[in-house]
Amino acid sequence: MARATPHWLHEIDHTADVGINVTAPDRNTLYERAALGTFGVLTDLTTVEERMSKKVTVEASDPERLMVRWLSELNFLHTTKHLLFSRFDVEVSGPDDALTLRAACHGEPIDRDRHPVYTEIKAVTYHDMKIQHHDNIWEVQVIFDL
Amino acid sequence: MADYDIEKIDDFRWRLPKTGGMRVPAILYATEDMLPDILSDDAPQQAKNVAHLPGIVKASLAMPDIHWGYGFPIGGVAAFDPDDGVISPGGVGYDINCGVRLMASKLTVDDLDRRSRERLVDHLFRRVPTGVGSSGAMRVDDAELQRVLQRGAEWAVNDGKGSQADLDVIEEHGRVGGADPDAVSGRARERGLDQIGTLGSGNHFLEVGYVSEILDERAARVMGLNKGTVTAIIHSGSRGFGYQVCDDALSDMDKAMKKYGIELPDRQLACTPIPSPEGQKYLAGMRCAINYAFANRQVMAHNTRLAFEDALDLSPREHGLFTVYEVAHNIAKFEKHTVNGSKQEVCVHRKGATRALPAGHPLVPGRYQKVGQPVLIPGDMGRYSYVLVGTDRAMEETFGSTCHGAGRQMSRRKARKTAGHRNITAELANEGIVVRGQSDRTVREEIPEAYKDVTDVVKAVEGAGISKAVAQLRPLGVIKG
Repeated sequence: MARATPHWLHEIDHTADVGINVTAPDRNTLYERAALGTFGVLTDLTTVEERMSKKVTVEASDPERLMVRWLSELNFLHTTKHLLFSRFDVEVSGPDDALTLRAACHGEPIDRDRHPVYTEIKAVTYHDMKIQHHDNIWEVQVIFDL
Repeated sequence: MADYDIEKIDDFRWRLPKTGGMRVPAILYATEDMLPDILSDDAPQQAKNVAHLPGIVKASLAMPDIHWGYGFPIGGVAAFDPDDGVISPGGVGYDINCGVRLMASKLTVDDLDRRSRERLVDHLFRRVPTGVGSSGAMRVDDAELQRVLQRGAEWAVNDGKGSQADLDVIEEHGRVGGADPDAVSGRARERGLDQIGTLGSGNHFLEVGYVSEILDERAARVMGLNKGTVTAIIHSGSRGFGYQVCDDALSDMDKAMKKYGIELPDRQLACTPIPSPEGQKYLAGMRCAINYAFANRQVMAHNTRLAFEDALDLSPREHGLFTVYEVAHNIAKFEKHTVNGSKQEVCVHRKGATRALPAGHPLVPGRYQKVGQPVLIPGDMGRYSYVLVGTDRAMEETFGSTCHGAGRQMSRRKARKTAGHRNITAELANEGIVVRGQSDRTVREEIPEAYKDVTDVVKAVEGAGISKAVAQLRPLGVIKG
């Protein structure tokens, strides 16, 4: 992430904090890319190898809440288990008011010698968050409190 | 400049009058020069949004370091009636009891040559873990954590990390009552287990510096600050524990707002009536986070003393590092203030704002009774920080509150861009400032230019009379998370 920013990811300038804008061709990929974007805020993803996998399930009553819960869960795993992930297989199911996200997250524990840790995320906020879907493009903006 | 309807009160006060659903006006403290910057941000709108909250008394206040936050602006102060008012996690912030401790020593700037500065900062960097991924300075189990949450800095002192003299000069003596560990989630507790004694990241820092200017001889003398005195500032908060308490409460309140018929212009302003079960739960959890932050800073202060001893080969008596004062920047508390001519208890939210009590106030420690409560205003790592004292005027106007810092003016990306290929660590070293950061990127994001000049902020609060400058401090060495 540090070297080549993918076309689907834009960092949002924000005075005190940081945000990402992510686009994707489908809903599952949107949640996967948002997770990748989140870990790109935390570290250089090219340094993270797939040495272990972790299963994550979250539920929510609307797509934005599902996004916040999903990214918050990953941040929780990062801060308490000291894990970094560089690939996600996500499957979102259910109607918009009863969504379930199941994911396999691939990565490894933080190794200070190999992983630069840029910052920490205090919280994933709802600020200006809206998941939009038009012309087969899914888009979301997420602002993190740093 | 955003289109705000703004009325000049005097050179340092501006009113955003009541419009729409605002229950009270918003009052902004700033010099005329600062206004274009402030008004170009969404923060004044956020100050107006706060004025919509039920039970708000007098006015929604904004300090001169106001900038954009979640729900409340950073630099916002608002007080609520305890019966009819609300409590809002967004009025405290994610980093509950983020605050500052100032320590001073017997050493003078001449005692620290370049090599000893480097040694000292390296020792501090080892003793005080920064950011994620470092194991904490200490790890506690769940039972011990409950004691931390209830006893705050006192817990650390009982564990041999500090003394009663420290507790005497911490806001609330380093411990608030009403902290109930059962009110916080298992997730919050898990985040708290291994972060006691850690600095965190972002704008948090531990800085060794010295007194460069004395601006009020008498107050400075009372605080033990002479020109040249070596100081240490610790700026940090309640870490992941506090962030989770805030996150959990925002989610609870978001759901509960309908029940109480509260409609607001911004979802992040989520709040519930103070007496409601959700409000009481947040207060009990927030107080746990307040105590966590007090304990966290006390452990870091202890480890700072150990770093002075190891790095400089000095005994505690020789370095004499004592706590001048410690203030909270993100907190909600019940305090007595005069509202419409009569004294009443109100719940004061300070988010990125500092308590600033005047001389003679009963909550000011005995040592400072004649000069007022010290107020600590950190700047950036290349310039200076300030020590102020509270005033009667602050009691009358701002619920005994003032500013808390410089405030960023650049996004992190812009700061990195501005830093370009410059070697920031070397640049600062040339000015005699030793910097150690978690990463080179952290240091670049925190370049001095990324912040406003804190002197402007101090001028505004002095001009308004809500605090008075005592001393200016300059950095010698900084660790950044």
